Amino acid sequence: MVILISFDIDGTLEVGDPPGVLSMDLVRRTKAAGILIGSCSDRPISGQRIIWEQHNITVDFAVSKQQLPDVKAKFKADVYYHIGDREDLDRQYALAAGFEFLWPDEALAEPWLHLDGDSS
Amino acid sequence: MTTENAPASMYRTTEGLGVWEHKGKVAAVGIGHSPTTRRWDGTPENTMGANSIIALRRAIEDAGVSPDQIDGLVLDPVTTTGAHWPEGQPIPMDVVNAFNPTDDPLDGIAKLSAEWILKNMPELTNVKFTMYGLGCMSHAIVVAAQAVGEGRTHTCLVLKSWHNLEGRYNQSGISAADTVPGTFALSPGRTLWGAPGSYGTALQFAEYCRKYGKSHDMMAPFMANSRRNGLLFPEGYWAQHRPEQLTAEDYLNARWIAKPASLFDNDIPIMVSGAYLFTTAERAKDMKQKPVYILNHASSRGAQRSILPTLDEVEAETASTGRKIYEGAGITADDLSFENMYDGFSLFHQFHLEGLRYRGMQNGDALDFYQTDISIEGPNPVLPSGGNIGSGRSRFWMHTDCIQQIQGRAGARQITGVKPEIGVSGGPMPMGGNFTVWSASPG
Repeated sequence: MVILISFDIDGTLEVGDPPGVLSMDLVRRTKAAGILIGSCSDRPISGQRIIWEQHNITVDFAVSKQQLPDVKAKFKADVYYHIGDREDLDRQYALAAGFEFLWPDEALAEPWLHLDGDSS
Repeated sequence: MTTENAPASMYRTTEGLGVWEHKGKVAAVGIGHSPTTRRWDGTPENTMGANSIIALRRAIEDAGVSPDQIDGLVLDPVTTTGAHWPEGQPIPMDVVNAFNPTDDPLDGIAKLSAEWILKNMPELTNVKFTMYGLGCMSHAIVVAAQAVGEGRTHTCLVLKSWHNLEGRYNQSGISAADTVPGTFALSPGRTLWGAPGSYGTALQFAEYCRKYGKSHDMMAPFMANSRRNGLLFPEGYWAQHRPEQLTAEDYLNARWIAKPASLFDNDIPIMVSGAYLFTTAERAKDMKQKPVYILNHASSRGAQRSILPTLDEVEAETASTGRKIYEGAGITADDLSFENMYDGFSLFHQFHLEGLRYRGMQNGDALDFYQTDISIEGPNPVLPSGGNIGSGRSRFWMHTDCIQQIQGRAGARQITGVKPEIGVSGGPMPMGGNFTVWSASPG
């Protein structure tokens, strides 16, 4: 089973402004589980890449908020998640792009690790 | 001491006034800034009032004067970035009482009176002149310049402060009311009921692109240049907190806020205070920093036919502003070393630029000009301050930069492709603003 997870940054990840509840270690565990990961944020794309590089995390994509459909078109997966803290800029964009949506506190439980099937 | 708004007579709003009678007789000497933060953290140390005191004391120290030499204070009492104290939310009295409060407990937190400043800067023992320049630093500057010129004050502090509270801006205050007046509701950026703040500028820019055959993509070099300059501005928000460039890829992939205005065409609201020390040309000679002489100030008070100005109205008004700026200073466009006109929203900077006829520009030329060398190293520097794009919403980086460039104190941002002798700054809007001409010599 191929899973793709898109992380918002500000208000979602611990490195965001404001900081969110999701640690970079959680992101690393997700990556280690063979899940396709990346960021979808209002931050400049180059700035998103720098954050990942600073934390030695190789991501599959870094895009702006309105580009989730491009991510879905580029990567074939069985399940697409977007995790974010805003109703208008995260949840609505995610649902419109055909992603499942999780609030950051829901993502803390890492529900994708418990999906049936192979995660890679 | 009661502080009044500056009377209309202090502004130079029309063409045909001739050279400013105080040309070269007023000078900026000292500069002070507070640190920047994204929002108030709830502590006394991070209030807008505390930032104001920091900025003022730094400006005094920078000028090398003793506080008792100060006899004037001009400021903008409105400090909101769009964040209003929510109705019914308790005011933290421990914060209020950490200072010497006025009758209004939000004074120093979400608004700022001259009285609050004087109560909390006891070293200012000789201030006899206070006045408000409403709107932004551009406004306060022209009031202070005129006041010094007229002899109302000889050593005057000029202050602009901003507060930004938790939550999204422009979604509290009147925006949270059940009803709002019709015109207010329809105006861009004012309320939840209206369009985004950049909507009007976006419409003008769209018409500009149609009329002159340009595109939004052509803004990318200007945006990258502005952020680059901002990252060389150690006083600014991006340099202090998120030193990230804004590449063409970043800009062109940003989501639309009010197409063709994207996210990065809108600036970021922050908390910051900035202050200058103005004095007479005579007194400036004995101060610590090189005097930067004010050759003129001019104001724009354009009238529009409807809710949003048209492109034609904008172009007519900015051209008039350019003529007023030059007439009062007794200079021409050829005399400008550099320009620092306002950029918040980025999509109207070209209106200011073309109105100035900067480097011979005519209407419709600016976006092509952006494709050439507009860097601080080149012969045609555009917005060397980086403006709000480069350092966050203060509306004063452009003024600070003009003073620093001419004083030779702009550091890594110092322009090198042209000798910084005369600069111009001001704003905010193409249809309404206040503008100042700065010079290395009194003219």
